[in-house]
Amino acid sequence: MPNLFDLKLVFTQIPKLLEELPVTLELVFFALIISFLLGVVIALIRVANVPVLSKIAVAFVSLMRGTPIIVQLYATYFGIPIFLRYVNYYRGTEYNVNGIPGIVFAIIALGLNHSAFDSETIRSAILSVDKGQIEAGKALGMSNFQVFRRIIFPQAGEVALLPLGNSIIGLIKGTSLAFSCGVVEMTAVGKILAGRNYRYFEVYVSLGIIYWVITLVLEFIIKRLEKKVRVPKEAPELKAEELEALRKNLQTVSAARPVKEGVANGVC
Amino acid sequence: MAFVEIRDLSKKFGDNQVLDHIDLDIEKGQVVAIIGPSGTGKSTLIRCLNRLEKPESGSISFHDQKYDLTTKNHKEILSLRQHTEMVFQQFNLLKNKNALENIMEGLVTVKKLGKEEAREIALREIDKVGMLDRINHYPAHLSGGQQQRVAIARALSMDPELLLMDEPTSALDPELVGEVLLTIKTIAQEGNTILLVTHEMDFVRKVADRVIFLENGKIVADGTAKEIFDKPSNERLRQFLVKVKMLEGSEYNI
Ligand SMILES: Nc1ncnc2c1ncn2[C@@H]1O[C@H](COP(=O)(O)OP(=O)(O)O)[C@@H](O)[C@H]1O
Ligand SMILES: [Mg+2]
Repeated sequence: MPNLFDLKLVFTQIPKLLEELPVTLELVFFALIISFLLGVVIALIRVANVPVLSKIAVAFVSLMRGTPIIVQLYATYFGIPIFLRYVNYYRGTEYNVNGIPGIVFAIIALGLNHSAFDSETIRSAILSVDKGQIEAGKALGMSNFQVFRRIIFPQAGEVALLPLGNSIIGLIKGTSLAFSCGVVEMTAVGKILAGRNYRYFEVYVSLGIIYWVITLVLEFIIKRLEKKVRVPKEAPELKAEELEALRKNLQTVSAARPVKEGVANGVC
Repeated sequence: MAFVEIRDLSKKFGDNQVLDHIDLDIEKGQVVAIIGPSGTGKSTLIRCLNRLEKPESGSISFHDQKYDLTTKNHKEILSLRQHTEMVFQQFNLLKNKNALENIMEGLVTVKKLGKEEAREIALREIDKVGMLDRINHYPAHLSGGQQQRVAIARALSMDPELLLMDEPTSALDPELVGEVLLTIKTIAQEGNTILLVTHEMDFVRKVADRVIFLENGKIVADGTAKEIFDKPSNERLRQFLVKVKMLEGSEYNI
């Protein structure tokens, strides 16, 4: 029987592919930063309904969602150099257009693309925060920034955690398209390997395994995180001796200091 | 000069004049109850005083510190809010923090106290409302009455000069109203200055030093509980009291 499927090769070539894992992770890491930061900014612009900017944000999100990622990658790869040449021409600057590594274009394109999707997630998470709790924060005297940081951000974060996790998974898989910007990451290396021995199927199975494992690890981390930020189902009970200790402590403290009212409200 | 002075407070929603040039003085330690039909601006009045609502005109003074309630200055609004605290109908505890953390929140972020000091104050206040055994409970683990008691402790921990309460028992199951009213009565007797909107007329009669009847954005009657409930001079007030069954009225008897 001819060796139609080389199962051994599927596993033996995995280390070779993994050599380019750092490139994939680098793509994910930087694209993620762009996507989250820009996603929050776009979400806030739209929630606050900032004039003009809000309209631009809507158009941007629509464009990013309405065109294929591969088109966006090519458009970035060819578009940014053209833009820079224009700048060079009109302002007399000397940006070295050819010196920009392909990974920069890929990071920008992936980051922009995901920021559009993430902004929608973040926006609806922010809108899901109970208005009453926001008012409670204001009534306490919190500044707008404190209300955002202490109330809106943690609560919206909990809501957005899972969909943003899915977005990261999408991003990891999206990096496999970065070769269109000339980036040699895992998938590109796989193609090169297969080009030599014509074992295309084997290489894609190997790649499939790698991406799947990465996704599983990430899903595990996100589940753990979610459990950590979620309010526990059962009320954490206070032990009898802890309660007793609290009581005792309160008594000694109140015995040691004068009654609050007389002191605190004394100035009139 | 009164402890708290509210002057010329007016608020419109569109063409709807909800508050119509309200003046109100509150003395230190007074418990002032606002009563009136639904939709007459009781909540709006309370919410204008800490700028959750922006009025068209009005000012509030605490001793010699006067605040223009129409100001757009964020710093000034924050400073105003340090004088008051608010207890909401829906409690509005932060759902991702436990009872103790809810009370510590304002002490740490607004008053900038250290964690230890904030915790000590929070423990004292939560003990006062009888919730010391539930400091680790999250709002989801507490009954409405318990949540409201924690919310009261949260407000008092900030040591406000004026405590605003907007129907603190209206969202509660009937059997939980009592425990919250008891808590409010206790803090009233401790000398806190309170402006309270409520429909619990029996409670008002027993606890309030002063009762204000608000209708169509105006203070229509203002007096002691005795004056308001026993000798209502105003016809509109009398009709209202008949409706809430605090006064016999032949045409409404069932
Ligand atoms: N945000 C708002 N926008 C428009 N109208 C409002 C708003 N809030 C309250 N109102 C109106 O103002 C009036 C007074 O409301 P409110 O102060 O809640 O009355 P109360 O608390 O006495 O029942 C009502 O007619 C209500 O419909
Ligand atoms: Mg109301």
